[in-house]
Amino acid sequence: MTVAILVGVLVAGGVYLMMQRSLVRIVFGVSLLSHAANLLLLSAGVLAWRQEPLSDRTDLASTADPLPQAFVLTAIVITFAITILVLGFAVIGHNDDTHHAPETGEDHDA
Amino acid sequence: MTFSPALLPLFMVVPLCAAAVCVVFRGPLVSRTLLIGVPAATAAGGAYLIAVHRTTPYLAHAVGGFDRTVAISLVSDMASAVMLTVTGIALTVSAVHLVFTGEDRLHFVPSLVLMASAGVAGAFLTADLFNLFVWIEVMLLPSYALIAVTGVWSRLQAGRTFLLVNVLTSTLLLMGVGLVYGVTGTVNLAALGGAAARDARTAFAVSLMLLALCVKAAVVPVHGWLRRTYPTASAGVMSVFAAIHTKVALYAVYRVYAVTFDGEHAAWMPLLGVAVVATVLVGSFATFGERRMRTALSWQMVSGVGHILIGPLVLTAAALGAGLFYLAHHVFTMGALILVSGAIEQTYGTGRFDRLSGLMRREPWAAAVMALGIASLIGLPPLSGLWGKVALVTAVAHGAGAWEWVLFAAIALSAVVTLMAMQRLWSQVMWGPPMEKYRPDDAHTGGGGLVDLPDDLRIPRRLMVTSTVMLAISLGMFVVPGPLLDIADTAGARLLDVDGYRAAVLP
Repeated sequence: MTVAILVGVLVAGGVYLMMQRSLVRIVFGVSLLSHAANLLLLSAGVLAWRQEPLSDRTDLASTADPLPQAFVLTAIVITFAITILVLGFAVIGHNDDTHHAPETGEDHDA
Repeated sequence: MTFSPALLPLFMVVPLCAAAVCVVFRGPLVSRTLLIGVPAATAAGGAYLIAVHRTTPYLAHAVGGFDRTVAISLVSDMASAVMLTVTGIALTVSAVHLVFTGEDRLHFVPSLVLMASAGVAGAFLTADLFNLFVWIEVMLLPSYALIAVTGVWSRLQAGRTFLLVNVLTSTLLLMGVGLVYGVTGTVNLAALGGAAARDARTAFAVSLMLLALCVKAAVVPVHGWLRRTYPTASAGVMSVFAAIHTKVALYAVYRVYAVTFDGEHAAWMPLLGVAVVATVLVGSFATFGERRMRTALSWQMVSGVGHILIGPLVLTAAALGAGLFYLAHHVFTMGALILVSGAIEQTYGTGRFDRLSGLMRREPWAAAVMALGIASLIGLPPLSGLWGKVALVTAVAHGAGAWEWVLFAAIALSAVVTLMAMQRLWSQVMWGPPMEKYRPDDAHTGGGGLVDLPDDLRIPRRLMVTSTVMLAISLGMFVVPGPLLDIADTAGARLLDVDGYRAAVLP
């Protein structure tokens, strides 16, 4: 139940931040949302059994399911890459998201 | 004919290695050879797989030789082989266009295109839902860079929109995969065969995934991103995108829906029906509202997505096959139209109807290619659109039940409206008084000032080659529809053969 509420709160916060104009806030929104997805994935592997999944050390009855952990690891890496990319876009764009686009001499109506 | 399933990972490994080579060796010879050669090899491999699948229904491989139940499975069947071939050919022609316009010399463009093509092949071949998410990300990450590659301001803005829409839907897709695992304890598509038809919770989890895929496929009412992003990219890049993003999402909808629901309609089938009809009609009507060539074409892409989704809506073998045939037709027709518009834009400096006029006397070849492309979109002979629509209508007549007349009306109305909207595009660009002034391309800002149009200015012949090739493929699909429709029917039947799929993947 705690996890379900936590996922809900994270999604709500993430959606709110993604509605903002500034790209940096959107990045925070994306992070919250992906945290929610990661928690959801982890909870898919039954949280009650949460000892490390090493068969020679832990009793199989109390081992965590390793597959969702592998999913989460992959998802975290992908989110990392995307976060860096969006931050890069935010830097290149200066403040064109909150103010006006700079005069570059481009013809936007070609 | 035989093909060792252990070779299936090569469809991803070769493009990824080629992308790495292009980063290290930046010379034009190496990067151009790989940029054109690797997608062409993928297409050839896909064509060979089609030949193999005429006798062998499935080729399954457990990557790394792990136990089948936990390994990532790669499966090739007729549908995935067709998709590999179609996207491979379209990517090859688009790559040639990128070389002819010189865009392949921009930073990392060959590597980005090759990486995206690896993601596309992976998404077609995987039988693992989480792996599907990963390959879709592999396809999307280079696309984020490709859309903004020239760094002009409008492309940066379009890049952000595209990125955020896809990040949001990928997260939704991931949540769907997590829920599927939580409910069933597996993400192997073969093990999930029919699971959603038996259990309502699984059906909900799978439906969440399908919803995310529908956003990526640009289904009305979640289609707005396509018109705002694709036309901003250059014509070559737009043609690459048109061949991959929405098509991968559509293929995933076909596969996941057919296998997990075991050929039964989901409870939300009427909602899908409304969305399909809306997509078909909104796409064609909205074409009227545009005053640039490639934005008008982006609405036609939305309309095409609606037509292709009639396959899973009707959900018979014939309908799925007809949908796949229509998908192939749409990729080539749309590629031809996008590339010919790009050639006009590049030469005359604009794609706006009101700034272009009277091009038919100067560019009879471009006028002909565009007219034939439009005829194919509408479904007129002598082009592939005719058989695409005939196959769809036949499939609807034999299996759509209560939806039959609604779908007939939608297809017919959409064709008439498309005819009117696209003839407006063609006549405004090709007829009218001859152009006297134009804005030549400026290397730094995209468009320059208004100057007199020189008499001898013509579209360079090499820029017309690519769209002509795409159109020739569409023409070829019209001339020999029999074998191609046979292949599509087989693909549709195998998509619904869940028992055979399960037996092949989990022996």
